[in-house]
Amino acid sequence: MWAKVAWRLFWRELKNGELWVIAFALMLAVLTVVSLSGITDSVRSALMQRSSNFTAADKVLRSSSPFQPGILQQAEQLGLQTAQQIQFNTMLFAGDNMQLVNVKAVSAQYPLRGELLLDTAAGKNAIVAPGNVYLEARLAQILAVRVGDELDVGAAKLKVGGIILEEPDAPLNLFGGQPRVMMHLSDVAATEVIQPGSRISYRYLFAGSEAKLKQLETDIKPLMSANDRWQQLDRQSAVGSALDRAERFLLLAGLLGIVLAAAAAAVAANRYSQRHQMAVAVIKALGVTAPLARKIYFSHLALVTGFASLSGLLLGLLANFAVQGILGQWLEGYQAVFSAKSAWLGIATALICSLLFSLRPVWRLTAVPAIEVLRQQKNDSRIDYWQLVSGSAAVLALMWLFSGDIWLSGMLFLACSGFGLCLLGFAAVLVRVAKPMAAGQSSALKLALANLRRRLWQNSFQLMTFSLALFLTLVLYFLRAELLEQWKQQVPENAPNQFLVNMTATEKDQIAQQLQQAGLTTGTFYPMISGRVLAVNGETLLEPEQDDGTAQRSEQASQQQSSGRTAQQSTAETSPRRQGFGRELNLSWLSELPANNQITAGHWFDGPAQVSVEQQQAERLQLKLGDKLTFAIGGQQFDATVSSFRKVDWNSLQPNFFMLLSPDLMENFPATYLTAFYLPETQQPLLTGLLKQFPTVSVISVAVILQQVTSIIDQVSLALTLILILVFAAAVLVLVAQVQATVEQREQELAILRTLGARGRFLRQAVLYEFAALGLLAGVFATILAEVLLAIVQMRMFQLPFNLHQSLWGIGPAAGVLLLTLLGALLLRGILQPTPASLIRRALHN
Amino acid sequence: MSVTPELFIQTRQLCKQVALPGNTLNILTDINLTINRGDSVAIVGASGSGKSTLLGLLAGLDVPSSGEVVLAGRRIDALSDDARAELRAQHVGFVFQSFLLLPALSALENVTLPAELAGQRDATARGKQLLELVGLSERMHFFPAQLSGGEQQRVAIARAFITQPAILFADEPSANLDSATGRRVEDLLFELNRSQGTTLVLVTHNPQLAARCQRQFLMDAGRLTEALPMAEGRSHVG
Repeated sequence: MWAKVAWRLFWRELKNGELWVIAFALMLAVLTVVSLSGITDSVRSALMQRSSNFTAADKVLRSSSPFQPGILQQAEQLGLQTAQQIQFNTMLFAGDNMQLVNVKAVSAQYPLRGELLLDTAAGKNAIVAPGNVYLEARLAQILAVRVGDELDVGAAKLKVGGIILEEPDAPLNLFGGQPRVMMHLSDVAATEVIQPGSRISYRYLFAGSEAKLKQLETDIKPLMSANDRWQQLDRQSAVGSALDRAERFLLLAGLLGIVLAAAAAAVAANRYSQRHQMAVAVIKALGVTAPLARKIYFSHLALVTGFASLSGLLLGLLANFAVQGILGQWLEGYQAVFSAKSAWLGIATALICSLLFSLRPVWRLTAVPAIEVLRQQKNDSRIDYWQLVSGSAAVLALMWLFSGDIWLSGMLFLACSGFGLCLLGFAAVLVRVAKPMAAGQSSALKLALANLRRRLWQNSFQLMTFSLALFLTLVLYFLRAELLEQWKQQVPENAPNQFLVNMTATEKDQIAQQLQQAGLTTGTFYPMISGRVLAVNGETLLEPEQDDGTAQRSEQASQQQSSGRTAQQSTAETSPRRQGFGRELNLSWLSELPANNQITAGHWFDGPAQVSVEQQQAERLQLKLGDKLTFAIGGQQFDATVSSFRKVDWNSLQPNFFMLLSPDLMENFPATYLTAFYLPETQQPLLTGLLKQFPTVSVISVAVILQQVTSIIDQVSLALTLILILVFAAAVLVLVAQVQATVEQREQELAILRTLGARGRFLRQAVLYEFAALGLLAGVFATILAEVLLAIVQMRMFQLPFNLHQSLWGIGPAAGVLLLTLLGALLLRGILQPTPASLIRRALHN
Repeated sequence: MSVTPELFIQTRQLCKQVALPGNTLNILTDINLTINRGDSVAIVGASGSGKSTLLGLLAGLDVPSSGEVVLAGRRIDALSDDARAELRAQHVGFVFQSFLLLPALSALENVTLPAELAGQRDATARGKQLLELVGLSERMHFFPAQLSGGEQQRVAIARAFITQPAILFADEPSANLDSATGRRVEDLLFELNRSQGTTLVLVTHNPQLAARCQRQFLMDAGRLTEALPMAEGRSHVG
C-alpha cells in the first residue's frame, strides 16, 4: 500500500516540477560523463587510426636485431596482422651515376594501414614485386633512370619497377635526406648489404584491436632485446598537440561540468528536503513510522536516480552520434564509441551524486519529528557538516573516477574548496559593509541591499554556488578561446604550404623575383648545407648504435611538424658519454634570429665562429655556453663556440634548424637555399612553370596535410563549443536550483510587504536590484579567481604563456549581473506578478 | 499505573522542560489529567501557555521530560517514535490550525492518505463518503491551493475521521478562518465527533468554542486547572 502512496506522491512531485531539478542535475552529470568520455575516446581512437596510417600499422616495434620468429608467431597467435620491414642506407648505382639512398625492404603484407601507391609500367598499384626497386621521383631524376632500367643495389641487380607516389610511413624529409628506395624483403639477402656490424633497422608492423595489441606488448616483453623500442605517437606534431590539448580541455570541462551538475543536485536535494519537512511531519503525525517514511522518500530518490541514469545514458549516446555526424566527416576514422566503460561511468556518476549529495538531505527529511506539525518551524537552513563532507568526497571521487588523474582532480578540488572558503569570508566582510552602503540610496535599492545583506549572512552558500558556476563557465570560455587562438596562430590562414629546396644562390634570386611578381610572399631563404658534429670541446662524440636512433628522432620531429607522424622514445639520457647524431645535419647560417625562435640562454651572434644550438639538443649533448663544437662539412673541419641556446617552435610550420652558425663560418661553402611560401590553389600553374624553368629545384607540398590539420582543428573547436554549452547549461541549472530554493521565503516576505502596502513595481525593482547586486558580486569574485586559475591551468596544463585577460574583467561581472537578473526575473515572475491576496494564500500553503 | 476501561487518556505528573543556554524553561508542570472515552475536552489558554505542547504529549507526538502518559491503555512516554506512530495510526486523528494538507495531493487523496498508509482497502470509497459528508463532493479532485481556507479545513476533518480514530486532537481548528466559516467547521467537527463516538481533545483560545465541549481546562503558565465544576468521578486535575 505504501508503494501506491509513494508512487502517487512521486508522480505528483514530478508534475509539480519539484523533482525535476534533481533529475535534471543528475541527468546532466551523467550526460556530461557519458558524452565526454565517449567523445574523447572516439577522438583518441580516430587520432590513433590516423597515426596508424602514417606508420603503416597500428603499432611498430623497431629493433636493431634480426627478426625473431617468436615475436611474429606470438602476434599471429593473437590474431594480429603482421608485416616486416628492413631499413638501411646504401649506395645505388645506375651506370656511372650513384647515390646514397635509404632503402626500405618490405614484406608482401605491407602496408597494414594507410595507402601505398606506385606508378609502374602496369599502371598504378600497391604491389612491391620481388626483383624490383621503386624510387622516389627525385631519385629517378638524379640517377637519370626510367621504369624498366636496371640498378645495382649492393651485389644484386634489380629492375626499376616504378615510382613511389604515396608511401604511408615516408619520412617527411623536407630538407633533403637520403632519397627513398623500396624493394621486396626477399631480395635483401641477394644484395649482401647486411653484414656483421652493418647498421640495419628491423621493424615489425602489427595491426589489430587495441586489447590484442596491449596483450602482445606484455607477451613479447621477454623476447625483446634492450634496443627494441615501440614507436610512439608524436605529441609534438601540430595535430597531435592540438588534439592533446583538446583532450585535456574536454577532460577539464567534463570535471567542471560534473562539479556544477553535482552542486545543482545537492542544492536541489536540499531544497526538496526543506520543502517537504512539513509533509513528512504530517504523515508521521498520521501514523507513518520513520522506516516507512524512508521507504517512501528513498523510493523517490531511487526513481529519480534511475530515470536520470537512463535518460543521461540515452542522451549521451545521442550526443556521441551527433558529434560523429559533425566530426566524422572531417576526422577520418572517427567512430562514435559507446563503450561499457562510458555506461559504467555514467551510472557510477548518478549513483555517487545521488548517494553522496541527495541521500543525506533525504535522510534528514525522513528524520523530521512528528511534533513539527505543532511547532511549524520551517526551512531548517543550518549547514549540515556531514553533507558538506560527503558532498566533498563525492566531488573528489567523481573527478578521480572520470579523469583517472588524481593530481588534476586534487588541484581542481582544492581550487574549488579554496574558492568556497574565500567566498564565505568575503560574505562575512560584506555583511559588515553593506549596511553603510545602503544609506542614502533609493528605498527599493535600500530594501534590495538589506535583503542581500540578510540573505548573504543566512546563506552565503548561495553566493558561493552562484560564483562557482560563473567562475567555472568563465574559465572554460576563456580557455577555449585561448586554445582556438593558439591553434589559429599555429596554422594561420595563409600558412606556407609549399617548400622549395635545393636552390642555388642565382636560382634563389630569380625565383624570389618571379614569386614576387606573381604577388606571392616568401619567407626567409635559408642557406643550407649538410655537415656533421664531430666533437664537443675536443671530445669525439660517440656514434649511436642505430642509424635511426635518438638523434634522428629529434630532427625528424622538426621535419615532421605538420604530419602527426611518429617518433621513437628517447634513450640518450642514460648514455654516460655524449652521443652524436650518427648522420649529417642540415646546417644553416643567419645574421638575424628567426622570428619563431627564442634565445633561452646566452646571446645572438656578436662575433666570429659562433653557433646557436636548439635547447633540447643542447641538453642532449650536455652543452654549456662557451663549449667548442667541431663541425665537418665535406672534407673540412672547423670549430664554433656555443653562444646561445634557442627554443624553437616546432609547430610553426617553418623550417627549423638544430644548429645555426654565424655567417662568417660558412662564407666559403657552397650552399643551396630553402624557402617556404603560401600558394593559393588558383596559382598552381605557376609552380609547374617554375619547375620546368629550374629542373634541379624540388618542391615539397604540404597543402594536403595543412588542409587536414586545419579541418581537424576546426571540428575539434566545434566539439569544444558543444562541451562549453553543456557546462554552461550545468551552471544555469545550479543558478536555477539556488534561486528556486529561496522562492518560498521570498514569497512570504513579499506577501508581508504587499500587505503592508508596498507597490508591485517597488517590490519588482527591489528583487531585481538584489539579483543584479548578487550577480555583480558573484561576477567580480568569479573573475578574480578565474584569472588566477587560468594562469595556473595555462602554464601547468597546456604549457601556454600567461597573459592577462582584459576582456574577462568586463565579461565576468557583466555576465554575472545579466544572468542573475534575468534568471531572478524569470523564476520569480510568478510571485512578483499576482495580487496580494493570492500571494498571501500561496504563502500560507508553503 | 492501572487504567479503568472507561479511561482513554491518563497523565501523571507530566512535565516538559526545555534547556536554554543558562537555564531551564518549564513549559508544563505536574499535569495530572484523565479523559474518558467519548469525552469532548477543551484546553484553553493564552498563546505560549503550553496547551499545544500538552496536546503533542497526549497524542504521542512528543515525549515528556518526566511523568507518564497512558493512551488507549498503553504507556506511550516509554515507547519509541515508531511504536508511538503505530499507536497514532490505530487510534488518533488530527485537525491542525493551518490545515497541513499535502499540496501535491488532491482533496480526496489527502483524505484517503492515512487509510492507505494503514493498508485499508476501501479507502477511496470511504474518502468519497466523508468528503460528501463535509460537503465537498464536487471538489474532491481539487488541490489544496485551489480550495478556500474553510474548504481545506473540511478536507482536514474528513482526513482525520477516515481511519475511524478513537480520539481526535484538534489544534485551534478555526483560528485561521473567518468567524462564519469557523463556526461551520466547528459544527462539522462536533457533528462527526458525535456520530462517530470519538473522544475529542481540542486546544483553543476561543471561549465560545471551548464552551461547546463537555469539559474545559485552563492552561496557565504550564499548569492545568479544570474550569467548570467537575462531574463526579469523571476526571481529576492536579
